[in-house]
Amino acid sequence: MAPPATTGRLNLLEWLKTITFYELLVGMKTTLSHLLHYKPITLQYPHEKRTLPDNYRGMLALLRYDDGTEKCVGCDLCEAACPSRVIRVVSAEVPGEPTKRYSKEYYMDMTRCLFCGMCVDACPVDALGMTREFEWAVYDKRQLHLNKAQLLAIGDRSYPVREKRLELQHPNTAFFNVAFQHIPQKSE
Amino acid sequence: MTELGLRLAVSLTQIAAVTGIVIVTVLLLTLAERKVLGWMQDRMGPMEVGPYGILQPFADAIKLFFKEDLVPAGANKFLFTMAPILALIPALIGFAVIPWGPNVTYEIGGLSIKPFIISDINIGILYILAFASIGAYGIILGGWASNSKYSLLGGLRSAAQVISYELNVGLSIVGVLLIAGSLSLVKITDAQAGGFWNWYAFAFPAPQLFALVVYVISAVAETNRVPFDLPEAESELVAGFFTEYSGLRFAFFYLAEYANMVLVSCVATALFLGGWNAPYPGTLIGYLGLPSFAWVENTMWFAFKTYSFLFLFFWLRATLPRLRYDQLMRFGWKVMLPIALANIVVTALAVFFFG
Repeated sequence: MAPPATTGRLNLLEWLKTITFYELLVGMKTTLSHLLHYKPITLQYPHEKRTLPDNYRGMLALLRYDDGTEKCVGCDLCEAACPSRVIRVVSAEVPGEPTKRYSKEYYMDMTRCLFCGMCVDACPVDALGMTREFEWAVYDKRQLHLNKAQLLAIGDRSYPVREKRLELQHPNTAFFNVAFQHIPQKSE
Repeated sequence: MTELGLRLAVSLTQIAAVTGIVIVTVLLLTLAERKVLGWMQDRMGPMEVGPYGILQPFADAIKLFFKEDLVPAGANKFLFTMAPILALIPALIGFAVIPWGPNVTYEIGGLSIKPFIISDINIGILYILAFASIGAYGIILGGWASNSKYSLLGGLRSAAQVISYELNVGLSIVGVLLIAGSLSLVKITDAQAGGFWNWYAFAFPAPQLFALVVYVISAVAETNRVPFDLPEAESELVAGFFTEYSGLRFAFFYLAEYANMVLVSCVATALFLGGWNAPYPGTLIGYLGLPSFAWVENTMWFAFKTYSFLFLFFWLRATLPRLRYDQLMRFGWKVMLPIALANIVVTALAVFFFG
């Protein structure tokens, strides 16, 4: 509604626009056209859900091999990689086999997780995965402190098709299969 | 004595009917506003309660009814309780003088009943203006009694805004009064019969188009609607004068705001757009040979015009941002007031020479 800045003489067109509320009419035409060509962009969320992208990073989970043994070797690299200190691993020897280790306890404090996926990248045995679950609203924050059994359960329901255990690997542990990637394979 | 009792019963029925219609309209408006606003902004509006969200007003009403009724510490309890009532009653009471349909009289059992006119006061429009001013008290007192800085600021803004814009409402109406020569809304509406060229917005000696524009803008300001919603500016003052209100009292303020919108639209319709008169001479139903049912068409026209104004309110809200306070004041005093005054002079001269 400010009067147009006049330099000496009155700008007739500006003045006409002001007194006829021209700019307001342009705006009102826009809103009316949106009303007449009504195409809502709303997604009625609980009733209809958007298709997630392929690389969606949702809830974290611990994975198993196809024979049901855990992949995790208790190396603590995920704990080291995590920027928010979500993960706590208690590593232990496999009973009776002093060279093999596994994670005796595994905790995730999902209230702090920012879903960056660094733990998944860090894992040398692909024991961690990001699922497509995202509806994890709870009434009690403590329900987001997950232990090993819960994380394995999430993995079981999100990854029904499991990776096959390599024949060389011991049933309770695994070689660091990623670490040797840079060494060329022996030719036959 | 029995006649008096019958008259009282008839009047009470009329009052109940009109109040009921207004409240239903307000319920409808709360939904319509959210829907229209949503559609204009590529959203859907309420969709959850009932099919396409049509039961949302009832859900809101029930929610507000069962909410806790809080009185803030340090608030003036008496005024805090009074303010919503003081805002709501003037908003509803103004409908008494609105002519909803043709000025016909039915003789039933010795009683002459005018079903579409509750009361024909010879100063009807002054009555509405007076009560609209009292409604401002509700807002100001509500803001003051809440013992909250946001409420107080909202109330003060409302006071200044209502005072400056009520002047424009009054002055823009004067042109119509000059042509009509009456303050009674019934007489003013009757005088506009016989086609849209007789409506005072377009009528011969002095078309009141400028007055209509001034009236509509001032009415938006007076009802505290966007773009003049400074008293309840939610981005600055939380909710302005009803920040501290909850439950039924909040509902009363809400109801008062929407009832005021309806009232202002009704007055605009009655004064400038011919009230219940169709934009052509007579009524279609009358031409079809059923003149006793012409009131259906007439009341429909009244409703149509009123709802058009209400749609304009929504439309403005969807389009315009809020004005700054100094802009509001400058626009009111330096633009609207001179236009309204000039309109009075021109109308007076036109009526004197051609009327």
